[in-house]
Amino acid sequence: MKILIVDDEPLARSRLAALVRELPGCEVAGEAGNGIQALEQVQALEPDVVLLDIRMPGMDGIEAARHLSTLETPPAVIFTTAYDDYALAAFETCALDYLLKPIRQERLARALESCHRLTRAQLAALQEAGARGSAAAQTEARSHISARVKGGLRLVPVEDICFFHADQKYVTVGYLDGEVLIDESLKSLEKEFGDRFVRIHRNALVARARIMGLEKDRGGRCRIILRDCARRLEISRRHLPDIRRQLR
Amino acid sequence: MKQPEKQCEHMYLPDLCGVRTVLTLVVVAELFVFVLALGTPAGSEVDRWTRLGLISLFVQWITLFSSSLLCLARRHLCRLRAPGVTLVAFAIILGTTALFSELTWWLYYRVVFHHPHAWHYDFLARNLLVATIVSGLVLRYFYVQQQWKRNLRAESESRMQALQARIRPHFLFNSMNTIASLVRTAPDTAERTVEDLADLFRAALGDERKLIPVSEELALCRRYLDIEALRLGERLQVDWSLAPLPDSARIPPLCLQPLIENAIYHGIEPRTEGGRLVVRAAADDRQVVLTVRNPLAGDGTGDGARRQGNQLALANIRERLAVHFGEAAQLRMEEEDGCFVVTLVLPATPPEETPT
Repeated sequence: MKILIVDDEPLARSRLAALVRELPGCEVAGEAGNGIQALEQVQALEPDVVLLDIRMPGMDGIEAARHLSTLETPPAVIFTTAYDDYALAAFETCALDYLLKPIRQERLARALESCHRLTRAQLAALQEAGARGSAAAQTEARSHISARVKGGLRLVPVEDICFFHADQKYVTVGYLDGEVLIDESLKSLEKEFGDRFVRIHRNALVARARIMGLEKDRGGRCRIILRDCARRLEISRRHLPDIRRQLR
Repeated sequence: MKQPEKQCEHMYLPDLCGVRTVLTLVVVAELFVFVLALGTPAGSEVDRWTRLGLISLFVQWITLFSSSLLCLARRHLCRLRAPGVTLVAFAIILGTTALFSELTWWLYYRVVFHHPHAWHYDFLARNLLVATIVSGLVLRYFYVQQQWKRNLRAESESRMQALQARIRPHFLFNSMNTIASLVRTAPDTAERTVEDLADLFRAALGDERKLIPVSEELALCRRYLDIEALRLGERLQVDWSLAPLPDSARIPPLCLQPLIENAIYHGIEPRTEGGRLVVRAAADDRQVVLTVRNPLAGDGTGDGARRQGNQLALANIRERLAVHFGEAAQLRMEEEDGCFVVTLVLPATPPEETPT
């Protein structure tokens, strides 16, 4: 069984690696120091199990797990934590297993035997439940959006995103370096990122901070001008007064 | 039944649907009846025992009827504050009393004794007055009892919080994990870390009302930072800039350490690249100034939550400083070119120490 160890503390990683090596049939595939590295390593090393610390700088474990779950063949995930009041409560509500540090070897062995993939619904619920009771630095919204592209996962930082535009089946994410498709609903995105993005049409959300102005096209419809974004999305009549108010 | 109870914690009336409470009420009401029966001379038209029986019947009817009404109304009463609850309780009790007084008068004087006008209003008024006084006393008792329970709980909670404000559980468990790791690879460092941790906990569990020399507190902070340095590795850099301090300078134990812990928890740990922590101590004849400076989290996550987490420790430190030094000590926080700076000002000589 190939295992990836993710923790921001080198000493915590080395202890966990030592424990894993002592277990028959288990090997350490690699180590990562934060969520983003973890995603890269998972794609490069294709481990069977990821031991994922919850509190990490950059991208925390819960968000990393959410992105992992969008992979075609996601690894199983076991969360580890030293002490996180709110997170543990969230884990109980979502009936997820976790390991408390310092981790006991027999506990680790048991968790590795019975571990399984987490479902996306479980993870979304987890993040929401965690955010509600959180007094720590975690927030409900993800820091990145993940899109499956050819050859792996692309992570788009939320601050780079200009708009979300819903087509037939997918949502197009327009960001500084181009566009990607994701399989999420505008409604859930609006719920999660409501403080950063505003709805301008039944089919579009745009970054509040990027709104520069409005223009009328030849058909007389109102379109929005976004900073660092060539595409001019249409504003529906219903949302126009709202956007005008924000521009003032 | 459990669910409404949970939301009803602020309400001072006990759960009158419970058997125990009702039994208590019945006993109290019966004692009250004894007082009434003993307080009047016996032997006019009915003897003492009959009188006792009749008053009991009357009073118990009112007690049971009004407590069942209060039991039924409990869910709605939960939405009210204490004065509202009192008002409704009075209305229910007095209404019940009036109803049973009328019934009794009608049955007893008209049907049994055919005294159509005997003291009708006098009877009603006396009953209402007695009911007001007695239910007032009972409600007051319930109220005081609930306040007492609440104070007890608040006190134990605040003690727990005070301890957690000085040493975060987060730190304890992470340190344990660090030690567990070092035991295999670097037993000497593990040993030293256990000693450091023991010193910190001795200070945290010791008498928090006592003052210690500032230099001693700085030594504790160094122990603390040694442990964190093991955990965070290269991500934590610490600059110490300590001017000589007057020997007389005193501080309540673990007032500076939580500020450094906050700085690490909110300023260093959330940053992938880590950061530099600056601890500075300066002094003149009048005061000692300690500052802790850390970079802001940077990614802007959970700014509000960050402050919230801080509040507990900060409030605790402020309180302890105020107890010892009054206005002479200050705790200030400000943001300064991308850094968060906490400044702790102490008097160079503490006011007259109270003899122990």
